[in-house]
Amino acid sequence: MLLQYWPKKTNVPFMPLRMGALVMSTILIAASFFMIFTKGLNFGIDFSGGSVIEIERPDGAQEQDVREVMSGLGLGEVQVNAARGTGVDSVEVIVIRFATQRAEEGVDQDVAQQQANDRVLAALGEAFPGYILRSSAAVGPKVSGELLRSGLIALAVALLLMMAYISVRFQWKYALGAVAALFHDVIITMGMFSLTQFEFNLSTIAALLTIVGYSMNDTVIVFDRVREEARKYKKMPSADVIDLAINQTLSRTLLTSGTTLLALLSIYLFGGTVLSGMSFALIFGVVIGTYSSVFVASAVVLMLGLDQGDKPKREVTGFQGV
Amino acid sequence: MLNFPAWKVALISLVLLWGALLALPNAFSDGFLGVAPRDTGATDAQSVAEFNEQQEAAEHSWWPSFLPTRKVNLGLDLQGGVYLLTQIDPEEVASNRLETLQADIVQALNRAPLIERDVPEQQGSTLPIRLRNPDQMDDAVRRLRRLNPSIGATGNEKVMSIEKSGPELITVSVSDSAKQALAADAQSKMIEIIRRRLDPDGVSEVSITPQGDTRIVIEAPGEADPRRIKDILSQAGRMTFNMADVDASAINAAQSTRPRPGWELLQDVEGRPILVNRTPVVTGSDIATANQGNDPDDNSAAVDFRLTGSGAERFGRTTASNRGRIFAIVLDGTVMSSPRINEPIWGGNVQITGQFTIEEAQDLAAIIEAGELPAKLNFIEERTVGPGLGADSIAAGTRASIIGLVLVGVFMIIAYGLIGGFAVGSLLANIVLILGALSGLGATLTLPGIAGIVLTIGMAVDANVIVFERIREEQRAGRSPSTAVIAGYERALATILDANITTFIAAAILYLLGSGPVKGFAVTLAIGIVTSVFTAFVVTRWFTAMWLRVAKPRKLSI
Repeated sequence: MLLQYWPKKTNVPFMPLRMGALVMSTILIAASFFMIFTKGLNFGIDFSGGSVIEIERPDGAQEQDVREVMSGLGLGEVQVNAARGTGVDSVEVIVIRFATQRAEEGVDQDVAQQQANDRVLAALGEAFPGYILRSSAAVGPKVSGELLRSGLIALAVALLLMMAYISVRFQWKYALGAVAALFHDVIITMGMFSLTQFEFNLSTIAALLTIVGYSMNDTVIVFDRVREEARKYKKMPSADVIDLAINQTLSRTLLTSGTTLLALLSIYLFGGTVLSGMSFALIFGVVIGTYSSVFVASAVVLMLGLDQGDKPKREVTGFQGV
Repeated sequence: MLNFPAWKVALISLVLLWGALLALPNAFSDGFLGVAPRDTGATDAQSVAEFNEQQEAAEHSWWPSFLPTRKVNLGLDLQGGVYLLTQIDPEEVASNRLETLQADIVQALNRAPLIERDVPEQQGSTLPIRLRNPDQMDDAVRRLRRLNPSIGATGNEKVMSIEKSGPELITVSVSDSAKQALAADAQSKMIEIIRRRLDPDGVSEVSITPQGDTRIVIEAPGEADPRRIKDILSQAGRMTFNMADVDASAINAAQSTRPRPGWELLQDVEGRPILVNRTPVVTGSDIATANQGNDPDDNSAAVDFRLTGSGAERFGRTTASNRGRIFAIVLDGTVMSSPRINEPIWGGNVQITGQFTIEEAQDLAAIIEAGELPAKLNFIEERTVGPGLGADSIAAGTRASIIGLVLVGVFMIIAYGLIGGFAVGSLLANIVLILGALSGLGATLTLPGIAGIVLTIGMAVDANVIVFERIREEQRAGRSPSTAVIAGYERALATILDANITTFIAAAILYLLGSGPVKGFAVTLAIGIVTSVFTAFVVTRWFTAMWLRVAKPRKLSI
């Protein structure tokens, strides 16, 4: 079908462009660090503690009415916003947010947060009898600290394990290239979150890990070709070998990114508000991950020096099962 | 790579059929499958009608019993419910335990020859005992050691550590390792008590699981009010019957100075003061059963108890000798009810009346019957999703999946033509297998899990694309269709495995270290990777092989 009209051989000179790409990536990473350290990440309650309560708008009630109910509870600053709920015939909802509560002497902070949440629910019940609760979440500061720590540990462990896997399957140079690309993706995606101030929560960490997996998947496919071509053309300059490999896998890289982006766009557009942050991160990550597997990972391998004389490692051959 | 003998075809068909069968129940209602509906205890007309309808359908179901009936488990974010994380304070468990040992300590030191000492005051989990006579030191320590109970699995761990801190000072305390053992012990007891309180009839799907040594996770699907569960669990559940005194002058005297020895001043549910004797006639361990009943006077909800044999005996004797006086039913320091004893109560049946709703009476009965918690439960995390939001999330997730599937399918067919159509066929098989695996494994599907499935749909074509691209290259190199296909599959395999193992690593880490929704995402991602590799590598190849054999094309239009 249409793919037949895709040029039989693309000859995009990627590696000569790597300097430009390197400059761009460096600027992006520096900007991301700058954003993360100055503007910070908009941590959701998963990581900063606090409460979010969402109710269906009670008949005849406005945000102001809800604000008044909240003002007498002594919770410090309470944000009350109207929004549209998830769903096909989305209901109007009112979202109530307040930060971690200061606990009195001798009361556990996490417990104090729960009590504040219960007070809010009780007050809502008195002011709007029969109100419908859409969701409620209260996370204490201790728990949110643990969640953040375990999220970061998950990211670190995933990176290490993948590095180990690539080292075993390829060589350490490839592993370094792959991991450089991964850090690049994760940092720039976090920078994006800092810039847009999208909520950074547990789902975001899940998205980051998936990006790591996806970007790795892309990188491995390019590397596979690089290794194959490097053995085939022992006399060709390294940069040309890498270019050849990238061009050979280019149509696949673009196709897979295309279908993945289509699927993710449908989550972003139709999957409701709960998933929008996560799917946004994934969409951004797929784009940046595709870019990095072409420019960053290969460029690092090139800088470290491509071995073109290495003996083929034992391949998985003779897959004659099933 | 292209010959599929009968056994291979049979095996592939079996796997696909098995997946389809496991996934099938998700398309039908429980009643249709012959599964009796769960009694949620809801009393509104709509729920009752629905329940009856399903019950009816279940009885007349023709669904054969050898077919699977298990559906995908929906996470709390999809079906609505309450998630609570609770923390036990080991320090509190330890000091409660030491408190219960005080009576034994007094008894041991009072045995002849009496060991004289100051009245000990417990501070947290330590109890200093100051002796009047230093010569009795060794004897005192020996007596204390003898009553020291063991804790933990091995039995070498002792609850109390008994130290000589001076010539006449003994410090009894709970050591750190004993605290840990006590907390772990309390945790398993508490899980049992929480279960009895939240699910007295053993019908609800509430799940109560330990986390670490000092935490308990409670998940109650279908519950819409987090405060109700907290109320049921935040009471210690210490229930006693004590003699009481409502004489106004006595109460006044107690308020102005202090209650007479052996009595304490408590409040009843309406906040009125009442004097209560400190020594209970009946305690929680004397209560055999507690149920919600009805007050014969006005038919309002009440709580009925039955006492055990010895409890009933003691209560009968006490009431016989205290006619006309008042006794108090005390729950966690509040007087629930203070009836006058008109005649002796022998049968061991007691009723608490009050302004209860039916639900309050049921909860109270569950609390009393479940027994006393060894320590307070501290709630440190709560997440609730209402049924409305859950239903909306399912609708949105399903819609996103279908749209994603259609978009990807159209894209593949436009890009690759017929062979792209094969890939779409195997993509559908992939979705069925994922659903089958989720149902068969009893894994939980969460909203991020749905996102994982959609992501899988997007990435699943990757393996196909890698193969197709290889086939295109081989064809350009001048090979015939069938050799091109064989070479394409052979050369793509290592690449596909390498690429997918890395993503699988990410999913596994997410599963091991993630919690709740993130875990759900990891599950579908991991299952999706396995099924994608299988369908791309086996199912599509089989389609292609059959087509090559039947159509014998001169050239593959890839």
